[in-house]
Amino acid sequence: MEDFSLPVLLNYLPLLLSGLPGTVGIAFFAILCGVFIGFFAGLARVSLNPVIKHLATIYVEVIRGVPLLVIIYLIYFGLGSFVDIPRYAAAVISLGVFSGAYVAEIFRAAVESVPSGQMEAALSVGLTRGQALRKIILPQALKRMVPPLAGQFISLTKDSSLASVIAIPELTLTTYQAITMTFRSFQFWMTTAFMYFVLGWVLQRVARYLERRFAVID
Amino acid sequence: MIRLIGLNKWFGKHHVLVDINEHVKPGEVVVIIGPSGSGKTTLIRCINVLEKADKGEIFVNGVPVHNPKTNLCELRQQVGFVFQHINLFPHMTALENVTFAPAEVKLMSKKEATDVGMDLLNKVGLAEKAHSFPGQLSGGQKQRVAIARALGMRPKVVLFDEPTSALDPEMIKEVLEVMKQLAYDGMTMVVVTHEMGFAREVANRVVFIDQGRVVEVGTPEHFFTNPQTDRAKLFLSRIL
Ligand SMILES: Nc1ncnc2c1ncn2[C@@H]1O[C@H](COP(=O)(O)OP(=O)(O)OP(=O)(O)O)[C@@H](O)[C@H]1O
Ligand SMILES: [Mg+2]
Repeated sequence: MEDFSLPVLLNYLPLLLSGLPGTVGIAFFAILCGVFIGFFAGLARVSLNPVIKHLATIYVEVIRGVPLLVIIYLIYFGLGSFVDIPRYAAAVISLGVFSGAYVAEIFRAAVESVPSGQMEAALSVGLTRGQALRKIILPQALKRMVPPLAGQFISLTKDSSLASVIAIPELTLTTYQAITMTFRSFQFWMTTAFMYFVLGWVLQRVARYLERRFAVID
Repeated sequence: MIRLIGLNKWFGKHHVLVDINEHVKPGEVVVIIGPSGSGKTTLIRCINVLEKADKGEIFVNGVPVHNPKTNLCELRQQVGFVFQHINLFPHMTALENVTFAPAEVKLMSKKEATDVGMDLLNKVGLAEKAHSFPGQLSGGQKQRVAIARALGMRPKVVLFDEPTSALDPEMIKEVLEVMKQLAYDGMTMVVVTHEMGFAREVANRVVFIDQGRVVEVGTPEHFFTNPQTDRAKLFLSRIL
């Protein structure tokens, strides 16, 4: 194994860290995008309209059957051949479309985990299904969505490393660059692994906090 | 108030309700009794269309419930329902459970709903628990809040599905007291229950159902002391 050199590491740390905003930024916007898509796809999944429901099911199943790397290539090169799409946007859209399918499933599972008696009670006092969903089912479902959503966000942060294939200056790409210049693979990959770990850990803490905040007595 | 004409319901091939004919007049209290699986729950769920009847006619306060054009939300606002498993909204206080629907459907202003809600909680003896969440209440208290919730929309009739059968024995009485009071106040009620004391005290009629059919109808006095059919006799001998 190569010998570990602290001076080299410190020397190239700024380069490595320059990828961090890219990773955080892509993950952040992709999460927003994924939650937005996933929320509506999830609503469609619990819709009574069979057409809407089927379209959402197709979206979820197709996306879950295709590797993220392929989705990134498809959107960057496929979409890119019709419209001029910045790499950054391509990365965010790819990750957003990808995670949207998983968020939709989290959403559906959370809605279905609310006991059916809640919907019945809401209907029995004369609310419409829409009112019941919005005011009775969703508040209870959202609380249940926090832990799996946090897991999804952490996955997405890690998956954003794949954006390096379309030359987005994020953590994985800057790691490649540092290694190209120093030929010290191991110590840089270790450092990068540690940084991903810290990001995930911070998200985990935030999720715990939110979970406690959202916990109502039931 | 409620008129059932030739009501039939199937779950798949299972004929759960067979040609039910009943008429509940305003202010009447009708108790439905029968073995497990006889169709009691399904029957009252058909009245507020939590379950859809397959054949026959249902009128509530003159509204043809079976007509697909009938607005179910408006119908259900007139028909309170109290569940065996209570089903309070866990993310709302007792008061909010009562006031939420009337305010949401704009039956009342928020202020008015709060006044009505406090009034109702007072009536079920839980004014001091108005700001507690369901998780902080006992089973009996929860069911009393659920009764207040059902009354919040000022319904013309209230349906009860075994409101005390999921409760510990010492809590049954407080719930039955509230229901008796409601009956004395003149509310039209259809109550699925095996509480004979309640039936004897307030019911105008007992309807005995077995295997989806009305087998016997009578005054509580008559039904409990002198049942006419063998099936009713057998059933009573089991629950007594
Ligand atoms: N959603 C459903 N799908 C299929 N079968 C059902 C459904 N709901 C009820 N049943 C069946 O219909 C029959 C009547 O059920 P119902 O719940 O009305 O009986 P019940 O008289 O209320 O019984 P219990 O005293 O146990 O509450 C039962 O055989 C039950 O298994
Ligand atoms: Mg039942």
